[in-house]
Amino acid sequence: MSPTSLTLPAVGEPLLTVAGLQKRYGAKLAVDDISLSIPRGSIYGFLGPNGAGKTTTIRCLMDIILPDAGSMSLAGQPLNRKLRDRIGYLPEERGLYRKMTCQDQLAYLAELKDVPRREALKRAEEWLERLGLSEYTKRKVDNLSKGMQQKLQFAATFIFEPDLVILDEVFSGLDPLNIELMRDLILEQREKGVTILFSTHMLAEAERICDSVCLIEGGVKILDGTLSEVREAFPFHLVKVAYKDGTEPPPDLPGVADRVLDEGTWRLAMEPGRDPQTLLAPLSDAGPLSLFAANRPTLNEIFLTAVHRQRDTTSTEGSAA
Amino acid sequence: MKKVLTVIRKEYLERVRSKAFIIGTLLGPIFMGALILGPALMADVAGDQDATVAVIDPSGEIMDTLREALVSRGDDHVALELMDCGPDQEACIEELKALVLSKEVDAGLVIDRDFYENPELVFYNTAVGAAVLKDEALRPALNQILREERFHRAGVPADQHGYILERSSWESRQLSAEADTEQNAEVGIIGGIFLVMMIYLMVLVYGQQNLTVVIEEKSSRMVEVLLSSLKPEQLMLGKVLGIGLAALTQVLVWTMAGIAVSAQGVSLGSAEINLSLFGPWLWVNFLVFFFLGYFLYATLYAGVGAMCNSAQDAQQFAGVLTMGLVIPIMLMMFAVRAPDAVSTTVLSLVPFFSPIIMLMRISVSNPPLWQVLLSWALMVLTIWWANKAAGKLFRAGILLYGSTPTWGSLVKAMKG
Repeated sequence: MSPTSLTLPAVGEPLLTVAGLQKRYGAKLAVDDISLSIPRGSIYGFLGPNGAGKTTTIRCLMDIILPDAGSMSLAGQPLNRKLRDRIGYLPEERGLYRKMTCQDQLAYLAELKDVPRREALKRAEEWLERLGLSEYTKRKVDNLSKGMQQKLQFAATFIFEPDLVILDEVFSGLDPLNIELMRDLILEQREKGVTILFSTHMLAEAERICDSVCLIEGGVKILDGTLSEVREAFPFHLVKVAYKDGTEPPPDLPGVADRVLDEGTWRLAMEPGRDPQTLLAPLSDAGPLSLFAANRPTLNEIFLTAVHRQRDTTSTEGSAA
Repeated sequence: MKKVLTVIRKEYLERVRSKAFIIGTLLGPIFMGALILGPALMADVAGDQDATVAVIDPSGEIMDTLREALVSRGDDHVALELMDCGPDQEACIEELKALVLSKEVDAGLVIDRDFYENPELVFYNTAVGAAVLKDEALRPALNQILREERFHRAGVPADQHGYILERSSWESRQLSAEADTEQNAEVGIIGGIFLVMMIYLMVLVYGQQNLTVVIEEKSSRMVEVLLSSLKPEQLMLGKVLGIGLAALTQVLVWTMAGIAVSAQGVSLGSAEINLSLFGPWLWVNFLVFFFLGYFLYATLYAGVGAMCNSAQDAQQFAGVLTMGLVIPIMLMMFAVRAPDAVSTTVLSLVPFFSPIIMLMRISVSNPPLWQVLLSWALMVLTIWWANKAAGKLFRAGILLYGSTPTWGSLVKAMKG
């Protein structure tokens, strides 16, 4: 069916690569030398706070805005309009034509991705059935609830059977039930071999679903790799301690780099390579413990640490210069 | 190209199937008829209104003759009221003025004592509309009285009056070197105005739809998904052409209806509009300028829409575009009077004015072929530029959710 003769790489090999991408708005560098390599068949978390440059990067990928520098390729071929017909995109700013019927809507968007009309209409019907919206096939989008509209947008992103799908803040504004539904759909598509670029600022969500991640901040890539690689790069432990009588942990604990009091619980960040076990004795000697927990850091914590490190280096560089 | 066709089909079908389109297509000719016949009907109605005129007739001879003349001319809706004047005529005139001012009568007429030798009249009125009363009823009737009395005094027998008064009869035919059709000059002007107004209205109505559609596309948050599937230039081309085809459909329906009606020999008022009298060259140019004019303005309207988030935002920019259509309409009569003057020629080559000025020139004169072709070429070039510029506005406009554009941002985006 696919009009492009795109030979996909093996699963796990890079499908989409971006090298040295740069985009400047006036004096502001929105994306600064970003390079990505997204393995085929993965759910790739593209993470960073609001304004980090995620959407700008994605818009460059989709040729909605033009990058100032950098190269992008899909399965080894430089990205062009023809290849972009293999990429689905669900933007954060998304909507539907309210006056169009559900079937026409899906078929129209599929046709714009080069699916022949007859085939597009057929697939639209199938998707509506799968999403439990059969009765709305010939009805206008206006009649759908917000949740149903989101399902429809989702269907529109996958209806032309793309090789890669870019989802930008796809869970924002969804209720927990719909998030659950969307997550299942995403995982189902991954099983079918679709590669997914999952862009979000909600790191907890990303941690649940992604295989690989890339963290960016201020237009700069801070770290990337598979989830376990990233975790290994930040092997420090976080120890949570609380005392029944509000005692403070002793000041000279071995291997503790940083301590923060957060709502009655102390969070002690350990230096890399130190065993949290060594803290238990000195802490329990200090007073009656109500909580002692040693965790691997969450993606959120890794991200915050990485951002702080990055800022420290840039500020020292800045003062040195 | 296939994607452009997909967009064209969607926009075209959406429009042609809409109730507004069907109603507009049916009602269009009625409105247009009203536009042509309206002023004539209004004048008739105004002229036939009952009116009372106070008259000062010092000789006392004219009053009755005038009343008879009015009746014989079918203007019996004008009632005359003789002022009862004393010896002081000045005071009598003041009294008449007061009557007119207090609107007890519609107008006042002062006839000279020696009317047949010295036919000077003073007409008093308060409303400009009373001019119809003067020009359509009183003046012709008094002219008739004057002529008959003078014929009588000169001893011209009554059966010679018609012979003496006969006017020269004119028929005006416009010859053209290119086409060997003889064209009636009046039909050229009336037809030209008709075609030009058609272009003006359709470009305005359908061109502005592009502005609305693009703003809707932005407010429904569709534009980013669409632009991930096709280039902004393609999206715009599809929209402009889809909407343009709907406009063309409407014009063709109207033209067919017009041809059918004129084949039945129905005349509209006094001006018999026979569409077959327009030469094929004029028709070709009508279609070309209709298409190019629409294309140019629609593209620009779409580009403006891409930068704006609401119709209010768009108004100031759209206003400038609309001026581009209004200015040539104002200069149109200039082109009728001096179709081949240098200034007219220059104006007719300005792409924004060509659809109106050049078409008007073609309908009243025979501008050299190279000038017509040059104006086509310049328009095509401008459209090409506009499509590029509007494409850039589209890309820039995506980033402008929520902010109101300025002229500066518009120019910056076009340089892109």
